[in-house]
Amino acid sequence: MSHIRFAQVTKAFGEVTVIPPLDLAIEQGEFMVLVGPSGCGKTTTLRMLAGLEAVTSGTIAIAGRDVTHARPGERDCAMVFQNYALYPHMSVRDNIAYAMRVHGVDRATIDRKVADAAELLGLTGFLDRKPKNLSGGQRQRVAIGRALVRDPQAFLFDEPLSNLDAKLRVEMRTEIKLLQRRLGTTTVYVTHDQVEAMTMADRVVVMNGGIIEQAADPITLYEQPANRFVANFIGSPAMNFLDATIDGGSVHLGDQTLELAPQDETRLGNRGAVTFGIRPEHMRHSAHQAELTFRPDVIEPLGAHTLLIGHLNGAALIAQVDPRFPVSVGENCTVPVDMTQAHFFDPQTGARL
Amino acid sequence: MQAAPNRGDAVKYAFIWPAFLIVLVVTLFPLIYALTVSFQAVRVVPPLPPRFVGFENYETILSSARFWGSMWTTTIIVVVSVVFQYVLGFALALALHHNVRGADLYRVTFLLPMFLAPVCVALIARMIFHPYLGPVNDALDAMGFDYVPFLTEAWLAIGVLIVVETWQWTPFVMLLMLAGLQSLPEEVFEAARVDNVPAWRRFVDITFPMLLPLSVAVIFIRLIEGFKVIDTVFVLTGGGPGTATETLTLFAYNEGFKKFNLGLTSALSFTFLIVVIVSGTVYLLLAQRLLRRYA
Repeated sequence: MSHIRFAQVTKAFGEVTVIPPLDLAIEQGEFMVLVGPSGCGKTTTLRMLAGLEAVTSGTIAIAGRDVTHARPGERDCAMVFQNYALYPHMSVRDNIAYAMRVHGVDRATIDRKVADAAELLGLTGFLDRKPKNLSGGQRQRVAIGRALVRDPQAFLFDEPLSNLDAKLRVEMRTEIKLLQRRLGTTTVYVTHDQVEAMTMADRVVVMNGGIIEQAADPITLYEQPANRFVANFIGSPAMNFLDATIDGGSVHLGDQTLELAPQDETRLGNRGAVTFGIRPEHMRHSAHQAELTFRPDVIEPLGAHTLLIGHLNGAALIAQVDPRFPVSVGENCTVPVDMTQAHFFDPQTGARL
Repeated sequence: MQAAPNRGDAVKYAFIWPAFLIVLVVTLFPLIYALTVSFQAVRVVPPLPPRFVGFENYETILSSARFWGSMWTTTIIVVVSVVFQYVLGFALALALHHNVRGADLYRVTFLLPMFLAPVCVALIARMIFHPYLGPVNDALDAMGFDYVPFLTEAWLAIGVLIVVETWQWTPFVMLLMLAGLQSLPEEVFEAARVDNVPAWRRFVDITFPMLLPLSVAVIFIRLIEGFKVIDTVFVLTGGGPGTATETLTLFAYNEGFKKFNLGLTSALSFTFLIVVIVSGTVYLLLAQRLLRRYA
């Protein structure tokens, strides 16, 4: 049985429905990441789980108990906020210990748990400091420490890393993931950063307009996106989308023809108009290779590889090539395309074919 | 070699002098003038030439029972009414902050007393608490109680003054505390809610300490302002019965504008200034110790 379950949950602010009926099951010990663009309803979903937003209809259950109308405190979740939400007038020690103190935990246990958490998070030297005397990363660690001493049913993270600089974000990403593995606590993590989602999650829920576009493990999302939105959202640089037609076992892009891989040929048949999707990193040599000619406007050498940015038939196109690939700006070049990695989407519904 | 800014450059004084002159003329001159007057015997009626008397005026004041009485009266009125103002103002601010039904309407009505001139407020209070014509005594009468001489019995009169001060200045405290409450980060309270901290603990452990610096400032402003109370007392009791409700400022007014004893009045003003500065400093020192534990 799943540990956290949303059943037909909706949320409306006045007349505006932000979450149409939503169903989601999260397993015990799972690291679930909700990801999507701003305003997609991921934070609202998390806040409904925490009890900070009322549910308009439907039910939420944690560990088999219906908590739809329970107060936040009765749900036994611990939450880490984007702005850390530390108590500014309390020391690190008091911040971590406060909830335990309120609930009458005995002194020895508090001291032990605070010491353990501080040890785990590298905060031992900072216990008597106030939050204002800590760096962003340290503050976020205090917020995490405050959550983990509670031994909750679930950790809820609301974009915890978005206020940190890029380098620290990568470090904390790993730390949080390791911590969650070690504790095995069910975790729901909200982010707008697809890299964060992919690297941390056991399972990623891609949301858009309050709807779950796809819920799957990171590799499935990448390799078999359910639709054009997911394909576009996951992966960086984003997938290229080109209007095409399929006819006679090949893809026709304007006057260029790319031969389909055998498994796609049997699956797709003759389709007429489709959206052809290919990731920049899949413009490489392979057993089922085609070629695509376009004119790059910008060349971005990144060291490990080079990005060619240009247009083809009016649509933007990015190709990722070897740093020594012979190319110059404004001149046509021909890049290989790995057709086994090609995706095809219905131009009307956006669903993957 | 690039010279360092020329320290001898005379033009810099041209920029400083205007501001300094204005301060000198508007602030320092009256202050110093009043200070010199406080060391002189100056009487306008009957007109006598000013005569230097040293600390005589101050000695007169410090040995006058009326001065110590007015000091005591002022302190009682100010301290008690500021306590009420703070508690009530904070409570109202909390109520409004948590979006009571019709909070907008309340917000405006609660602020009204602050906009009224203290003289009007005192006049109305005088009517309300009038021994024979006032509605308060009418109500007491209707309930079968005796008339209460609100304004002619020393302790009752002080009580009425405290009530009027509280009524008028609670909105000020409420306004500032409400602004303070609204500036607090909401996520901190959400974190406490998720951690199952009951509402009263959230207030005691989070809201109150976080608003402590503001509270210190608000109370300080009200104490300083409160010490200057005169209009309410002047209209409501005129300092009576006897001098039982005479505040420091009213005492100074009576000396200056009824007896035209300007030397003594100046000395009284400076004594008053010293009292306010000393009590203000003591208050801030105590508050500082309290704040250091939190901030």
